[in-house]
Amino acid sequence: MAIIEVSGLTKGYSGRTVLDGVSFSVEEGEIFGILGPNGAGKTTAVECMEGLRKPDGGTIRVLGLDPAGQSRELHERIGVQLQHTHLPENIKVWEALDLYASFYAEPKDWRGLLDDWGLAELRNARFGKLSGGQKQRLFIALALVGGPEVAFLDELTTGLDPQARRATWELIKKVRASGVTVILVSHFMDEVEELCDRVAVVDRGGVVALDTPAGLIDGVDADHQMRFTLMDGETRDPAALLGDLPGVTGVVRDGKRVTVTGRGDFATAVTSVLARELIPVADLRIDKRTLDDAFVALTGRSFHL
Amino acid sequence: MTALAKLTHVELKLLVREPGSVFTFLIPLFILIVFGSSIEPGDTVLLPMSLAISVGLVAMYLLPTTLATYRERGILRRLSLTPVRPGSLLAVQLVLQFVLALAAAGLLIAVGGPVLGAHLPSEVPALAAVFLLGTAAMFAVGLLIAALAPNGRSANGVGVLLYFPMAFLAGLMQPTDQMPDILAEVGSYTPLGAFRQSLQDVWTGTSPTPLLLGVMAAYAVIVSLAAARFFRWE
Repeated sequence: MAIIEVSGLTKGYSGRTVLDGVSFSVEEGEIFGILGPNGAGKTTAVECMEGLRKPDGGTIRVLGLDPAGQSRELHERIGVQLQHTHLPENIKVWEALDLYASFYAEPKDWRGLLDDWGLAELRNARFGKLSGGQKQRLFIALALVGGPEVAFLDELTTGLDPQARRATWELIKKVRASGVTVILVSHFMDEVEELCDRVAVVDRGGVVALDTPAGLIDGVDADHQMRFTLMDGETRDPAALLGDLPGVTGVVRDGKRVTVTGRGDFATAVTSVLARELIPVADLRIDKRTLDDAFVALTGRSFHL
Repeated sequence: MTALAKLTHVELKLLVREPGSVFTFLIPLFILIVFGSSIEPGDTVLLPMSLAISVGLVAMYLLPTTLATYRERGILRRLSLTPVRPGSLLAVQLVLQFVLALAAAGLLIAVGGPVLGAHLPSEVPALAAVFLLGTAAMFAVGLLIAALAPNGRSANGVGVLLYFPMAFLAGLMQPTDQMPDILAEVGSYTPLGAFRQSLQDVWTGTSPTPLLLGVMAAYAVIVSLAAARFFRWE
C-alpha cells in the first residue's frame, strides 16, 4: 500500500523553477531514498511532503493527509530530522527528548531511545557541548520520539565518522524493522546503496529514475572492466579466446596482465571460458559498477560536480 | 505534564542558565545600591529609574536576542514540524520574560525600600497598571527588533544601540530637569520616557497622566502589530 503519493509536484521560488512535475509513491515499510546533487530540489520536495512549504501545483498525500492543509494531524504521525537545525545551547540531552516527547499524544519512551542511540552517558550533557555526531544522533532520536509512522531523515550521516556512519545505518535498518517507513534524503551513494529499498534519482527538478539500487546499477549500459594475471609460461592468446564472447568489447594484454572490457554480464562468460580451457589466473578482479556510474549515466554528469 | 507546561518548565530552566538574565537583575541592582547609598530617606526618584532600567534591559536586550536566536538556529522551524506550533514557544517566552521583569522589580523594591530607605508608593493598583502598560510598550519594541533582525547577534546589537538613546531621552542618564526642554519633552513621548515619568508620578503620589498612559498603550498596540506583521518564522 502506498503511504506517500506525490504527483505532478511543482514548486518555484521567485520565478525560478525548483521542482517541475515530480511524481513518485512510497510503499509502507520501505526505506525510500531521494538521491541527487545539491540544488536538485530534493530538500524542497521533502519540505513540501512535511507541510513546511506549500507546493505551487500537483498533489501530495502522506498517510492519506494533505500536508498543506492538514499539517497538524500529519505532524502527530511523522518524525523529521532537518538538515540545518539546532537546539538551544543550554538544553540537556534528556530535557530535549523529554520535551519533544510531551508534544505527541502517544510518544515512545525516550529513555529507550537514549540507549538505542548511544546517548545514555550524555543524558545530562548540554547540547552546545556535543560533537557533530552526537548532535546528529540526538536529532534522529528526536525524530523518532513521537512514535512516527513515517520518518524523514535529511542528510542523515553528514558529519559522522565512518564508524559512526555504519552504526547509524544498522540503527536505521532497525527503525525499518520496527515498521516505520523511512524517507532518506542523501547525496552519499554508498549509504543509499546499503540502506534503500528503492531510490528516486532527482536531477534538475524532476525524477530521472526510480528503481531499486541494484536495478539502477544494472540499468547502466556502460563499459566496465575485469583484470587478471596469467601464470608463467602461458602461451595461448587471451584475445583470440575471449574477444568474440558476447558483451566483450576489448581485450588488452600487457605482459602477463590482461584487461577485458565489456558490457552487461560479460564477466561470467569470460570466467567460464577460462575454466573450460583450464587457464589458471591470479589476481582476478572485476570492477564493480556502483550507483555513481548509474548516476553519471542517468544525468550525463558526475555526481560531485 | 502537558506540552505547554513542559515547554514553560524547560524554557524557564534555559532562562535561568542564560547569563544575560542574571545581568538584567544585577545592572539595575548595582545602580540602585551605588546611588542609593547617598539618597535622602523617602527618595522618590531612584526606584522609578531603576525599575525603568530593569524593564528596558529585559525588553531591549534579552527578549529580542532570545527570539531572534531561536529563529536563526532553526528552533522555531523544527518546532513547526511537531504537533506543537512555534507560536506557543513565543507565548511562553513572553510570559517568562515578563515574570523575569516582575521578579527584578520585586527585588529592586525590596532592596530600595526597606534596606536603602527610599519611598515606597501606597497606590498599588496605579503602580500595577503603570508597570503593566510600560512593560507592554517596551516588550513591543523588543518584539519589533526580533522581527526585523536577521539573527541573534544583530538583534543584540540593535537592542543595545537603541537602548542608550532611549535611556537618555527617558531621563535615565541624567534627570529630565537638567536636560534641554525640547529633549525632555520629546523624551516623555518615548515608551521608556513615558514609563519612567508615570512611575515617577506614582512614587510622588500624583496620578499618572492619562496622556502618558495612552502613549504607552499606543506603543504596545501599534508596535506589536508591526512586529507581528514583519515576523518571519525562518
